[in-house]
Amino acid sequence: MAAIEVHELERTYRSRKGVIRRRRTEVHALRGITFDVAAGELFGLLGPNGAGKTTTIKILTTLLLPSRGSARVLGFDPARQPGEIRRRVGHVFGGDRGLYDRLSALDNLRYFADLYRVPVREKRARIASLLELVGLTGRERERVETYSRGMRQRLHIARGLLHDPEILFLDEPTIGLDPVGAREVRETVANLRTQGKTILLTTHYMYEADELCQRIAVIADGRFVASGTPRELKARVLDRTVIELETFGVAEATLERLRMVAGVASIATETREQSEMLVVQSRIGAEIVPALLQELNGTSVGKVITREPTLEDAYVELVGAG
Amino acid sequence: MIRAFASGMWIHVVQFSRNPFDLTGVVIWPILYASIAYYLLDSKDNPRLLLAASLGASVMLMWSLVVIGSSNALENQRWLGTLELLVAAPVPFAAVIAPITVASGFVGGYALVATLAWGTLLFDVPLVIVHPLAFALAVPCCVLAIGMLGLVMASTFVLYRAAFSLGIALQYPVWIATGVLVPLSVLPTFVGRIGWFLGPYWGYRAIREAALGPSPWAAIGMCLVVSAAYFAIGTICLRAFVHVARSRGTLKLT
Repeated sequence: MAAIEVHELERTYRSRKGVIRRRRTEVHALRGITFDVAAGELFGLLGPNGAGKTTTIKILTTLLLPSRGSARVLGFDPARQPGEIRRRVGHVFGGDRGLYDRLSALDNLRYFADLYRVPVREKRARIASLLELVGLTGRERERVETYSRGMRQRLHIARGLLHDPEILFLDEPTIGLDPVGAREVRETVANLRTQGKTILLTTHYMYEADELCQRIAVIADGRFVASGTPRELKARVLDRTVIELETFGVAEATLERLRMVAGVASIATETREQSEMLVVQSRIGAEIVPALLQELNGTSVGKVITREPTLEDAYVELVGAG
Repeated sequence: MIRAFASGMWIHVVQFSRNPFDLTGVVIWPILYASIAYYLLDSKDNPRLLLAASLGASVMLMWSLVVIGSSNALENQRWLGTLELLVAAPVPFAAVIAPITVASGFVGGYALVATLAWGTLLFDVPLVIVHPLAFALAVPCCVLAIGMLGLVMASTFVLYRAAFSLGIALQYPVWIATGVLVPLSVLPTFVGRIGWFLGPYWGYRAIREAALGPSPWAAIGMCLVVSAAYFAIGTICLRAFVHVARSRGTLKLT
């Protein structure tokens, strides 16, 4: 039996605006996604902002009810059996929030240990070992408001693991962290994987998913786009070459002309500090650089790099197609 | 569940005590309320009335601290991003929220004592208690009755994001219906009848009758009865409103 099963899951948010003329608005956050996660697997849910990743996690952790479709977590229905799921899963979300700032890390953990029914005899030892796991030993008596983002995030993970959950949901755990903090969190997650925990990780950092996840599902605009191992997803673009062109202010009309160049499969733009990077995917062997430079005539072009495709390129291709 | 309740109370009292703004209010408000009780009635020659007014002012303050403190605490949970974590905890949600309202009531219990102390120190309000033992019991019963009414109110705070505004709006109606702001004898009869259903009414009667007589035991008993009823209603409402919040997706602030 899969640890998590999601079938045709849909969620629509409804709201009303206006006082006299009430207008009803609907936002379709999930439009029927399906996937499953095996026990002991580290599964990644990838997608751009607004894709429906957090909504999926909230439904699976019993915080939201689905509008349609079904889900099973360890065999239990999140909509109808929330109590059974809550005692078996941990939930960690990214960002600064979710902790009592004016209390120490130790007080936070003690409180959540009581809420999550950690036996009194095990509480002290469990908290000590988790502080050790997340590298906060020695800092536990300091108020959380004095912690860096990375420390808070690691404390979040410790909180999520207090009751030794069978499944851990990690919702963008490295968002907003500096590279060192993000690496520490990834190391902690990798460590948990070796302990056999089932983990559902959402992220939009491709290298994170590539480094950590055994399988990945890509969703965009609430729809399922693709799934597979990182290698399988990368294989989708292995027949491609990626050309990166450093440019400075490319007009939309120029971009449209570039898309029409023979051999171009897709074009994405990335804004850098002082420049813009055009990431062009083309079929292997297609010599399109001269044609691209010709279309960019009149636009400043810096470095031009040709490289092998990465998981991020596969993701851009998948999301673009989705 | 008892551990979650005790731990929750401790955490929320500590959290409250580390906010200088809240602490300043708790120090200043009892002086203000003691002053109001003294100057409003101008009853220097009637020590019993003066003590009754001080007790009324204390209950007013206790209710304010519970209703504002609870709504503020719940709004803070949203801002801190902890409300979702509390809902996702495996213990019943009432055992998570009740400590917040009872912790506010606990602070209110301190405020009651402080108001009486300031009244005695500043305005010579005679602190002669007819039934000291019953008074010692009446105060925690009053805290419980008011805290549990706060629990019922808190269930709506889970559903609506403007909890703090709602908390402020609920102060005056309860003050009036309880008879601590204006004597019920000068109000239409139905206002007093509404008071029968309110914890602060029985809490005020319990501590007033313990202090001034006659027997407070009936009122103390009613405090326990309404507390139990509020707990049952609060638990049902919390369960229902959390279901609605899960359906609407309103547990998070943004």
